[in-house]
Amino acid sequence: MMQAFIDSLWATARGLPVTLAIWLAAVVAGMALGFLVGALRFFAPRLVSWPLAALVETVRGVPFLVQCFLLYFGGPFVGIDLSPVMAGFVALSVYGAAYFSEVFRAGFNAVPPGQLEAARLLGLSRPATVWRIMVPVMALGVLPALANLAVILIKETAVLSIITVPELTFRVQGVGTSTFAFAETTLVLALVYWGLVEATAMLARATERRIERALAA
Amino acid sequence: MSALSVRGLHRSVGTTQILRGIDLDVTAGEAIGIIGPSGSGKSSLLRCIAGLDPIAAGSVAVEGRATRPGDGAVGMVFQQFNLWPHLTARQNVALALRLVRKLPAREADARAEAALAQVGLAALAARKPAALSGGQQQRVAIARTLAMEPRVLLFDEPTAALDPELTTEVLDVIRALAAGGTTMLVVSHEMGFVAGLATRVVFLDHGQVVQSGPPAEIFSQRAEPRIQAFLQTYLNRVAWAQA
Repeated sequence: MMQAFIDSLWATARGLPVTLAIWLAAVVAGMALGFLVGALRFFAPRLVSWPLAALVETVRGVPFLVQCFLLYFGGPFVGIDLSPVMAGFVALSVYGAAYFSEVFRAGFNAVPPGQLEAARLLGLSRPATVWRIMVPVMALGVLPALANLAVILIKETAVLSIITVPELTFRVQGVGTSTFAFAETTLVLALVYWGLVEATAMLARATERRIERALAA
Repeated sequence: MSALSVRGLHRSVGTTQILRGIDLDVTAGEAIGIIGPSGSGKSSLLRCIAGLDPIAAGSVAVEGRATRPGDGAVGMVFQQFNLWPHLTARQNVALALRLVRKLPAREADARAEAALAQVGLAALAARKPAALSGGQQQRVAIARTLAMEPRVLLFDEPTAALDPELTTEVLDVIRALAAGGTTMLVVSHEMGFVAGLATRVVFLDHGQVVQSGPPAEIFSQRAEPRIQAFLQTYLNRVAWAQA
């Protein structure tokens, strides 16, 4: 039994970097894509914003596991043939982007319209208004929600084990199947995810405070 | 050529007519006071002149040219100040100078400080809006508009969101600008202020100009009965206060 624990820790050491790398990349890509979609849904004409809304609703309405299957196993039928890691990264980014976009859209909506009218009358361009006024004004409001979403996405990476991404769950489950010590390995897995979520949540709160100070000073 | 020319201005929202054929000519250096009951279309008139609200018919021209928001012809000071909360007073004023006028940062800052000095806030240039009183915020907003040197300045109830003791500092700034020859339209419920400031007073009701003329004419027994009834509510308030 001790051996199962040791093997689990070894598997953790191998899987953790993959989990963290995919998570980090997906958070960055998902936030960028989410910002773009949120901005388009706020600014663009209905011809653009309505299809985007439908897309966001679809991604939010289909379980992440099913999306992974669709992309990884269904993708090749339409010429999208991705490696497990790449498919995992793309799936998690798109999944995250759908939720991030809703946060950003709410953020854009929350900017007082008078502040935008002032910018418009003073001649500020649309991009300048977005970057110089809207983003800083909404930053404080959306920051906690963004951080919360990013932390939740860590747990979703476990789903990627099902499409054989060699991440944390995949590695540690591998130890379980070879040693039949399912309880022990799963316990290790749970504790590692819990620690990871706590650590990133703390990091997120620290980042939040730093940005808050920078904006409020 | 008039500084501002409004011709047959109509604005409707759905089936409701907000403005029903406004004609107004303003000569350079004039200060126009716009008064009237709530919902009479005062703010709508300013917003249409600024180009913030679409007009159904008619035209607005500044110095003979049609305007659009952001072309620098019209500046507007809002009831709610609308300062950008993440920027200092100086940055609020300098932002458009840098991004729109393309001034180098140092020159934009210098001009911003000059504009803040003009409204008596040179010492508070480094403060953010949250660290300023309402009256100070409104003066920063005035400086921000002034710095872009608009041809016509619009004030939309500039003191309506302020505590009574803070209105004076804002009204003083507006008075100084009018005395300096700034062409302006002022929507206000401060009747004494309007009477003292305006070269001409326009009384609006139900989206139409009821009467326009020098303050002595509008604030008198010779004015239209509707105007007298409107002004009577103000006199009543003074009477209550004195009772």
